Amino acid sequence: MAELMMPDSRRCTYFFLYDGSKVQGEGDPTREGICYFYPEKTPIDKQELLCGQLAGVSRCVSELSSSPVRVLRLRHSKFAIKMEEDFFWALGCSADFPTVSMCDLLDQLISLFCFYNGPVRQSYQENSRETLALHWSRYLLYLQTGSTELHHIFSCLRTIDSTHIDPLLLLKAALILQACQRCPLVLAGCILFRGRVVSTQMPPDLTVKVMAHETQTYNKDKKPNGVSSSAPLSRAVTSTTVHLTLSELQDLRSTTVDRESRSHSTPSKDNRPQRTCLSRTLSDTPSTDSHTDLETDSPDTPLKLDGLLSPVLSRGAEQSAARPTVNPLLFQFSESSPSTNRKGPRSGGNEEEDEDDSVLEKSYYYSFHSHGGNTSQADLQGEASPLAEASALENEPSATPMSDRRSGPGCWTPGQEGSPEGRAASRGSRDGRNSGGASLPRVGDKDRAVVPMTLYQHRVKGLVLALLVEPHFQRDTEAMEEVYHSSLASLNGLEAHLRTMAPGPPGPQGPYIFAHYDCIQNTLTTNVSGRAGGDQDHSFVRATSLLHSHFCNSEALQEAIIRSARTAVYATRSVAQETYFLQHGGVVRNSGVPNHQDTAFSLPSKARHRLLKHGVSLL
Amino acid sequence: MKCVLIAGDSAEVLFYWTDPDFQQDVQDQYGLSQEEGQRPPAFEDSINTLFAPIIISCSTMVDRLGDSYACFTTESDHIYVLHQFDDCLYIAVNGDGEEGEDDLRRKIFVTKKLIEVLFGMVTLSSNLLRKELRPQDTEQRTRLWKQLQGLLETYSRLRENDQSFLVEAVERLIHPTLCEQCIEFLERRLVQHLNSTSSLERCGEEVLHAFILVHTKLLAFYSSRNTSTLNPSDLLTLIVMAQNMYHSNTDEEDPGPEDVDSVSGSGPEMFYTPEPSPTNRRSNRPSRGETPMFEFVDPDIQIAEDSLQTLEVPPPDPAAPCRVFLEVSLKDGLYPMMPHSMYCLPLWPGITLVLLTKIPNSGVAMSVYVYLEAFAKLEKRLYEGQEGSAATRGQPTIHDLRGKLDKFIKALGPCDIQTSQLQNVWSEFKKRAFTRGGPGFTKELIPWCKSMKTQLCGVYKQCFLNEASRGATAPQRLSPALQDQAQAMVQEKLIDWKDFLLVKSKRNITMHLTYLEDFPGLIHFICVDRSTGQMIAPSLNITERSTSELGKGPLAQFLRGKVWGLVRTTRQYLQKGYTTVTLRDGDFYFCYFLWFENETGYKLEEVDLPVLADDSAPIGMLARDYYRKLLRYYSKNHQGEVVKCYELITIHLGVIPTEYILQHCRQLASKLWEPSRNPLL
Repeated sequence: MAELMMPDSRRCTYFFLYDGSKVQGEGDPTREGICYFYPEKTPIDKQELLCGQLAGVSRCVSELSSSPVRVLRLRHSKFAIKMEEDFFWALGCSADFPTVSMCDLLDQLISLFCFYNGPVRQSYQENSRETLALHWSRYLLYLQTGSTELHHIFSCLRTIDSTHIDPLLLLKAALILQACQRCPLVLAGCILFRGRVVSTQMPPDLTVKVMAHETQTYNKDKKPNGVSSSAPLSRAVTSTTVHLTLSELQDLRSTTVDRESRSHSTPSKDNRPQRTCLSRTLSDTPSTDSHTDLETDSPDTPLKLDGLLSPVLSRGAEQSAARPTVNPLLFQFSESSPSTNRKGPRSGGNEEEDEDDSVLEKSYYYSFHSHGGNTSQADLQGEASPLAEASALENEPSATPMSDRRSGPGCWTPGQEGSPEGRAASRGSRDGRNSGGASLPRVGDKDRAVVPMTLYQHRVKGLVLALLVEPHFQRDTEAMEEVYHSSLASLNGLEAHLRTMAPGPPGPQGPYIFAHYDCIQNTLTTNVSGRAGGDQDHSFVRATSLLHSHFCNSEALQEAIIRSARTAVYATRSVAQETYFLQHGGVVRNSGVPNHQDTAFSLPSKARHRLLKHGVSLL
Repeated sequence: MKCVLIAGDSAEVLFYWTDPDFQQDVQDQYGLSQEEGQRPPAFEDSINTLFAPIIISCSTMVDRLGDSYACFTTESDHIYVLHQFDDCLYIAVNGDGEEGEDDLRRKIFVTKKLIEVLFGMVTLSSNLLRKELRPQDTEQRTRLWKQLQGLLETYSRLRENDQSFLVEAVERLIHPTLCEQCIEFLERRLVQHLNSTSSLERCGEEVLHAFILVHTKLLAFYSSRNTSTLNPSDLLTLIVMAQNMYHSNTDEEDPGPEDVDSVSGSGPEMFYTPEPSPTNRRSNRPSRGETPMFEFVDPDIQIAEDSLQTLEVPPPDPAAPCRVFLEVSLKDGLYPMMPHSMYCLPLWPGITLVLLTKIPNSGVAMSVYVYLEAFAKLEKRLYEGQEGSAATRGQPTIHDLRGKLDKFIKALGPCDIQTSQLQNVWSEFKKRAFTRGGPGFTKELIPWCKSMKTQLCGVYKQCFLNEASRGATAPQRLSPALQDQAQAMVQEKLIDWKDFLLVKSKRNITMHLTYLEDFPGLIHFICVDRSTGQMIAPSLNITERSTSELGKGPLAQFLRGKVWGLVRTTRQYLQKGYTTVTLRDGDFYFCYFLWFENETGYKLEEVDLPVLADDSAPIGMLARDYYRKLLRYYSKNHQGEVVKCYELITIHLGVIPTEYILQHCRQLASKLWEPSRNPLL
């Protein structure tokens, strides 16, 4: 938020989108191709110079290497590049910003745009450049403001400071979300308070996107484009169309609650039981890692999709018959997602983690009941049977045509007009959806095909309940009212509690600095305040960004100590987390000679000891 | 998929080197775009066309934005590194994942260094350099490019396989007694003998340095008295050149310690022993089993006008020395790129004697350098807007030089050197600068400074690069007889040691003898004395046949990967000012330390090191001596004290407790440099 904003926290120096298809002939001026340029005040000839040169040289290099350019470095700055069809995005940062984070930022930005506006080509056909320019600048602002440099390095979620909050409130928030999910049209949701996450059921990258809308409405109190206020309910409720990629949708559907246990009032014919998973809270992760999950889901989801997307089905059915070639892609994707997840440091949880989650789920489950839920104990026991049923389903040879149908209905595939290049490109971008690591991350490489969904938001002062719902939820007054009324009271209560919670004094600083990054939830805990950027803080941030890049590029590296004459920083990571630690003033003038009494080498034990009270266990 | 390319300011390719993969790739791309029946263009043209847009865009960015490209990375991890030196743009490409950005930048700087050693101050004038790098005459061009390409390949091979080129420091053979004997021999017998023969036979040359190399390791080094020391950067470059001349593939030739006896004196030796006839000596070289650079598949292509393969390059005169330009430090200052002659005399395969001589007219180079520097300074001042007397400050002033330059030009006259142009430009310069009522020292003088520089470089070029074309009757060199004598003398001295040396060069330090007991869990270490540019490390052979202390085959290869990766990592941290790095990586624990000591071994306190930009010159000693700058930087606060700089890299098993690891490092550091055992003294 604004209170933490540093003067130089805007990492992005340039951002532009250039459409090469508009500049084909000799005489076409470069400015025709510039869709958006940030900073907008840049003189047009400089815009043209940058767009023309960078796009041109990248194209040339891409042809030489038969692979699109990802990073372009100049002497004094660097650019993350994204080339897709004729579009060319470039995001420029200062040279000291980690390249990994810069590429993340660009991917986030593009996927954020597509989330609210649909595919880029299409939205530029439907809207004016000026309108969309407004959107780009808004998203750019959203991704950059309110974070410290550390947050930018990890490109992490902004969460409420859970150390100052009664854990029961977090539980309560989780329960509200669960309750909402009883409506089968609700896919997943999150609760935000003053632009920060209280509880979410969605994967981090999706939460970021959902938050963008909330943050804007919260900050400006002004309706962004495309919002339709739903008449029957109070003015606190808005819904807007958003676009999910197939993989995102699949992740959501694969972990939603058992639909049988949901309440009645839906037109859904879906009666296929799913793995029971009643609650998803902050500590929860999409369990795409488990193989059984995937195997059961891939044949299962398409059926639901067909049922739920019935309004658009008729058109899609013909297409699916005409294009049977798509299904290998889809299968390839569903298989590749767990492996890519495992790659980077931001990968999905390991198995232990999953086990923990299931324990958590159960405990939440019980507490849910004690609060007067109406589901029965049988649901829990029923967990095994749907799995068995689903795996039986999986053996059916009909799996392939079904998954094919999924891509047909309701999906906008730009390549659908029969261009093989489009399809090939989308195949190329399928891997690495969530890999923050390896050599070059391709986080958020969106699939071309997107599915329209609706983002429902219910605002209670600073508190917002945001739900991703099926598109026809809006027309289903009954369902909508039920969701609204079932959550209204709890939301009011939660808001009142959160409001009274003092933002808390910025805890005792302690004789050390640390940063703890949770790769799975994509959250950061740190005692580096945004403002008081002392000398040590700066060297800590610098060391952290170096070490983080190093972790991202090395698979086997677990622990590192680096020391200059003045500072020593200790860093350690596991699959699920990265921790950085610096002890204040402890570094005596060392001679640099190998010496086991060098204070730098006592950092690991100090970090273990000190960080325990921050809830960070390094054991 | 590797390529190095140098482009001039009008986007023409001045030099390129590609590996077969890259070449194939380019040809494939052109094959696709060619119409049926049309012959694909010559490779040089294709590469020119492909890179031209990048080169042009680069100069546009410089002109209009004051910034230029440093690096491209594609999604398939192809890396392009670009660096501009004056008017020349260097591009290095890798598409096979074998080299990182740092490696490519290093390659660019090494290419630049090689060109400097080969062309000296001609590199200061991009106009002249362009003509030198890309001679009009195809035959000449082929010969030159082949030479440079060979040097680059040799360098790449060494960097990939040789630890001393990994850390860029000279490795000595560790046998103090023998080293001492050899140094004494070089001093008392060889150099003295050579320098005392008649000046006619020496052609006026004087041996300054003599050293013996066993593969890349230094057995003995002797510099005659009152001679400037040879800096590590130059020495490393000379080793690359020597290796390139008598490349002995380690695999083929290394008998392995086990079967030395069976090999010595028989077949393979004959093959490698240089024939008495000088011509045959060189003709052995192509048999080194290296892939030819220009391997055109299609016979049609060979007819292509520009293809180099078709041209038979006549073998160079074997007794002709190689002209190299090296730094000389005298009492009155540093003189970079002073001409020397380098004689590489092969003793046995893998063992080489190298003589560096001073050539008679090298004084000219020194004067040229002084004038060049003066004009460059003047130009810089004028550029900054200082005019009149402010522009002529400094030592020596341009006024001081005026008379000297007049005399210098007059003295050049009788030496067969064309000075008319220099004279013209100089008198024009004088007219403008010194005459009363003339424009004086204003910005208008800048182009004249430039032309003076070009003219001076031209004179330098005539003196030191164009000897052959000047048609001198007696080529400038030590007489072949004298060279043979020198060769025979050292051969005789070392004949009994030959086999020992070859084995020793493979197993310089044997870990299991002492280190394993003293340092349980220590897998490998490298220790470098950066003040002398020398390193010491257990050998790390990765060839199939030879076992090293670290096992053989895949295991050694794996460890090699770790060592190479570690060095790369520590450099990244050092670049950002971190002098101590420890890493737990898989099953290993890595340590890196850099520290300073004074001459008596007293540890000096650490200071904050400068933080360098990502695209700054690579950290090392071969291309740009980072450590020399570091020492200079550090010495600012230690005036009057000799400061030494050391580095230690260790790899331990990860299960060893950290305290022990650190203790090992400490003990290693002190043990290796203990005077009594110091193998490097």
